[in-house]
Amino acid sequence: MIHTRHKPLEEILQMLSGAKVALLGCGGCVAFYRTGGAAQVRELAEKLRGHAEVVALGVSNRQCYLCAEEELSGLSDAERIRKIARELEGFDRLEEAEAVLSLACGVGVQNLAGVLEMPVYPAQNTLFMGRRRVEGDIDIELCAGCGDCVLGYTAGICPVTRCSKSLMNGPCGGVFNGLCEVSRVAGEEIPCAWVEIYRRLKKLGRLQEMRRIREAKSHSSSGIPRRVKVQEGVE
Amino acid sequence: MSARSRFMKSLRSGSFTISGEIDPPKDANPAEVVEQIEALREHVVAANVTDNPIGDVIMCTLATCAIMLQHDLEPIYQATCRDRNRIALQSDAIGAAALGIKNVLALTGDHPRMGRSRDAKPVFDLDSVLLTRMFSTLNSGRNLSGEELEHPPSFHIGVGFSPGVEPIEAEVIKLEKKIEAGAEFVQTQCIYDERVLEKLRDATSHLDVPILPGVAPLRSVGMAKFMLANVPGISIPDELMQRLENSRNLTETAIDIAAELVSAVKDYGFPGVHLMPVGMHMHVGEIIKRSGVR
Repeated sequence: MIHTRHKPLEEILQMLSGAKVALLGCGGCVAFYRTGGAAQVRELAEKLRGHAEVVALGVSNRQCYLCAEEELSGLSDAERIRKIARELEGFDRLEEAEAVLSLACGVGVQNLAGVLEMPVYPAQNTLFMGRRRVEGDIDIELCAGCGDCVLGYTAGICPVTRCSKSLMNGPCGGVFNGLCEVSRVAGEEIPCAWVEIYRRLKKLGRLQEMRRIREAKSHSSSGIPRRVKVQEGVE
Repeated sequence: MSARSRFMKSLRSGSFTISGEIDPPKDANPAEVVEQIEALREHVVAANVTDNPIGDVIMCTLATCAIMLQHDLEPIYQATCRDRNRIALQSDAIGAAALGIKNVLALTGDHPRMGRSRDAKPVFDLDSVLLTRMFSTLNSGRNLSGEELEHPPSFHIGVGFSPGVEPIEAEVIKLEKKIEAGAEFVQTQCIYDERVLEKLRDATSHLDVPILPGVAPLRSVGMAKFMLANVPGISIPDELMQRLENSRNLTETAIDIAAELVSAVKDYGFPGVHLMPVGMHMHVGEIIKRSGVR
């Protein structure tokens, strides 16, 4: 899932610069991780009280997929918001809104900005794709969306995201006690991905995967922005 | 392939080969480099030039190597993957060859977060295995885009190895890949413990490349503690720590300990040693003399 973290209130207020605002949460990853669902929309509205004028609160199903484009054609901003979001409070005042503050990830914010005339601002910083590890209360990045998955050769452990240098051919000389050298300065124990890959490959009897020289990643398809032609089904 | 550098000729001749190390200064004063060159030239056959260790900014490797060539100390050009993508790495390699540099050492490089430039973008477009192969590819007369080179470089390619880290098998697998990619010699992280020398010898006995264990003088208890805390896989025997603690003349003790380690390296059958003076350039001659390896 996609992990996010709230922006400081000062930055949000700076973006809004006094505009009357509608808050829109998302029912996807951010709701699951309780950073951008209905409860957090109400919480943020409470925090903004006295600093910004919040006219309406709502939650869309998924801001990364709003609805079919034709369903929005010919509608005003207020009507579009009514169409794509479930009301939490104050949708009768949507016509007054001068901006939307979205609690979704960067995909959701851009999606929303693409269908509204008024400005859409992000309430959160989007961090990465990963999972939550309950033990230690930590969110861990797992996938960088590099476009060239090597998990089949690395025992299901990604060296692109989990090695601090994204090395392709084994551990560097910085590993100590199974930890990445960055642990020394990061103030936390970061496991060395390549020690984990080595141990798991060995356990699986597939250490030969590590003996093969892996090519450098091609970045020709990961230039910004990445676009791919839609291809449904299994090729 | 025939030996094209003094360093490789020395290794092939079977004589105990000593490489040194030049630490480029952080400012633009070539005299600081020349001073180190003068101190090392009579005692080592070649010297490595570090590439901004831990990402702290110092004089670039190429310029330092060029000064060494002017002053007749053969350079071993260290290249790391931290700051340069494959374009810059190849470009610098071709420039290095044009300057007359004949030995290179392909390293991963420390993460920028380890030092003062912690906000810098880590590059790591290649890794040390792929960097080794990049140098081999250039040697073979092509660049990584497949273009033919009419005047290709002909580097002797070295690689690093950390003998103290666990699991050693993972490190050895990577070293084997570096050799498959074209590595001709190995220089290791510094070693203070004969048990590590033994482990290194045993773990690499199946490999047909010269391995030069690293030795760096321990100048103080503080430095020893710093190394223990910051150099991966390092172990310093209690006996050495006590000698430093009880020392009345730290320089003398440092020279003695380094000399004993150099001597042990030879006794364990290694073909040479990589001596990193870490500021004690003036004493390298004395370390070698006391070691009795010559």
